[in-house]
Amino acid sequence: MTLLDFARGPGFFWAFTILIVGIVWRLSGLVFFRWRRELATPREPGLVAPVSGGLRTVIMRSVPPHELEKNITFQHFTGYAWHIGWFVTFLFLGAHQPLIRSILHFGWPNLPNGVVLVITAMTLGILLTLYVRRLLHPVLRLITDMDDHVSVLLTIAPLVTGVAAFAHWSLFGLRYETVLAIHLLSVEALMIWLPFGKIFHFVTGLITRFRLGAEMMRRGVRA
Amino acid sequence: MSGASASALAAIAVRIERSSGNLEPLLHQIRHALLRLLEEQVGSCIDLRSLPLAPGEQEQLLAALGTGEIRAELRASGSSDILETAFPGVWVVTHRDVHGEVQARFIEVTFSPEILCSPRQDVAAGLLRLTARLSERKELA
Amino acid sequence: MIPQADARSIPTDAPLLDALAVRGVSRRGFVKFCATITSMLALSPELIPQVAQALQSARRPSVIWLPFQECTGCTESITRADAETIEQLIFEAISLDYQHTLQAAAGTAAEQARQDAMRANWGQYLLVVDGSVPLGGAGFCTIAGRSAADILVEAARGARAIICVGTCAAFGGIPAANPNPTQAVPVSQIVRDKPIVNISGCPPIPNVITAVLVQLLTFGELPQLDHLGRPKVFYGESIHDRCYRRPFYERGQFAESFDDEGARQGWCLYKLGCKGPVTYNACATVKWNGGTSFPIGAGHGCIGCAEPGFWDRGGFYDALSVTHTDNLEEIALAAGAGVAVGAAAALLARKKQHAAARAGDDGAKGELP
Repeated sequence: MTLLDFARGPGFFWAFTILIVGIVWRLSGLVFFRWRRELATPREPGLVAPVSGGLRTVIMRSVPPHELEKNITFQHFTGYAWHIGWFVTFLFLGAHQPLIRSILHFGWPNLPNGVVLVITAMTLGILLTLYVRRLLHPVLRLITDMDDHVSVLLTIAPLVTGVAAFAHWSLFGLRYETVLAIHLLSVEALMIWLPFGKIFHFVTGLITRFRLGAEMMRRGVRA
Repeated sequence: MSGASASALAAIAVRIERSSGNLEPLLHQIRHALLRLLEEQVGSCIDLRSLPLAPGEQEQLLAALGTGEIRAELRASGSSDILETAFPGVWVVTHRDVHGEVQARFIEVTFSPEILCSPRQDVAAGLLRLTARLSERKELA
Repeated sequence: MIPQADARSIPTDAPLLDALAVRGVSRRGFVKFCATITSMLALSPELIPQVAQALQSARRPSVIWLPFQECTGCTESITRADAETIEQLIFEAISLDYQHTLQAAAGTAAEQARQDAMRANWGQYLLVVDGSVPLGGAGFCTIAGRSAADILVEAARGARAIICVGTCAAFGGIPAANPNPTQAVPVSQIVRDKPIVNISGCPPIPNVITAVLVQLLTFGELPQLDHLGRPKVFYGESIHDRCYRRPFYERGQFAESFDDEGARQGWCLYKLGCKGPVTYNACATVKWNGGTSFPIGAGHGCIGCAEPGFWDRGGFYDALSVTHTDNLEEIALAAGAGVAVGAAAALLARKKQHAAARAGDDGAKGELP
């Protein structure tokens, strides 16, 4: 079995399985967890208040708080930029469409390769800049742990290897089939890591924000 | 089959806008070969299959070379064309197989392509045949 | 096809040129062939006289062709009944000693002919093999009462070189497809002490087979081979790298189905399963049927037939980016397992929370549910 056969076959199967098991495990754990019971009386009865509170928090926390703007705006908006760029690359590159269609059984039109390539290049540039900043900035360096390093590198790897495969670059003299296999394997590594590291915020991020907002609204706090 | 295939493939609207940039250097190479032929009496041969030419560039090359006074057809295992271009000494030799498909194309820079000359053994064999034919005619007469 | 009668009229030690002359090929026709084959071998045109010189006086080498678990497609590829090209003539002129499909002899006479040829040319004959060799039992492929593996081992001992024609002989091929009931293996897994040239493809391009034979006759040595034992001159570049539809791939213009506008416009066939990017063969340059076309030119993606394992790589119409796992049941099982593990983890956590609440560690007395 060649490396590409492994990446397209058992590699993907097990990575996908671990991804599903991991996500469902952690979500189930959160659901069955013993949540602290709210003993205080809600300020407003019914569901409208918590739902509106939750939605409000989701929106409000999507932009930097006014007080902290000066310090974190750069990080905040470059973060948006690379997140959007990453998903545009994954969802709208023509070569990815058959994979998406085979999993979801439906697809959508792709963007021209030239457009996606530009977006990917920008995403990669931003990611590398932010990572270098994280390594050099004393405060960021202090709060960065192994989880962060692994998560960042596994986010960057599919982009780098994907560009190499797309452009048919021979990384370190490797043939195209091997470069393509490495690209698939880098995505599979990300899939395996996703449920267990910080990247799990992909699943819980908005849910957590909503829940926090609902909880606060119950107590009359607009968060 | 060859006719159908040529039209079917050509009917697919594939438009590729790019040039290999090899056309100009190739013409210069032919010029140098002509110079060498005149000065040293040494011929050259360029295999067009070996050159990376973009689609349409081979046609541009042949158009640039033009046609001259001689057009010879070789009928052996399919047909082949031996054309002298508008530049004497520069010949385009195209070999086709029995189906008419181009198998090879060369640009020969020479006073006369070798393939036009009659091989000595064939001449000897022809002489024997003609001698035999003349004997037959004499006997009949 | 040469009727055996004509073949017998050619003396076995006659030069190749004479053998061709008997079949009506003139000297000029021969020179034309030499020019074509030199071009195909990517050799300089300056070598045409050398190729002609070497070939015209080449003595017909003894060639033993052993067919094992094959569909005869490789023999069909190189021999056509309707029109003869010089490739076929050269091939037939050199490979008359033993070839099931082409020879007129049969039975013990044929086997005797093979044994005689091997004995007379021991150490010098070329062994051409097509079809895979079954190791699962002699009954799967038996010729004249002997198993394929036995015949191969014996014939290989006296061969100068072995040419594996077709993906079956080179890599196992269709007979080796999962679950490989006959335990089919390629020749290289059985013969390890002789030079082997793999001319893979299902079938291989006929000109490629002849060109390799010509190279052997002309230069007396095997061509440069890649890591899979295939001649680099024909298998050095991928289909993708020489495909005329490449610009559409670069631009992201793909045919989505075989009858849509993209297909009609000749767009890239990546999404329809083309394996061109990972397949190495000369189809895009040399093409098939004397340079007529090749699968992509006919609107169908490459299936990668010159590569090992192409038969067990998922669907031919699944793009390279599609993984060949489509087991919804297993994914559902995985989800179920996730729920179970999550619930178990939560239960453990709840026990700890309970214990902490009792001990007052969570700072909120009286909050037990």
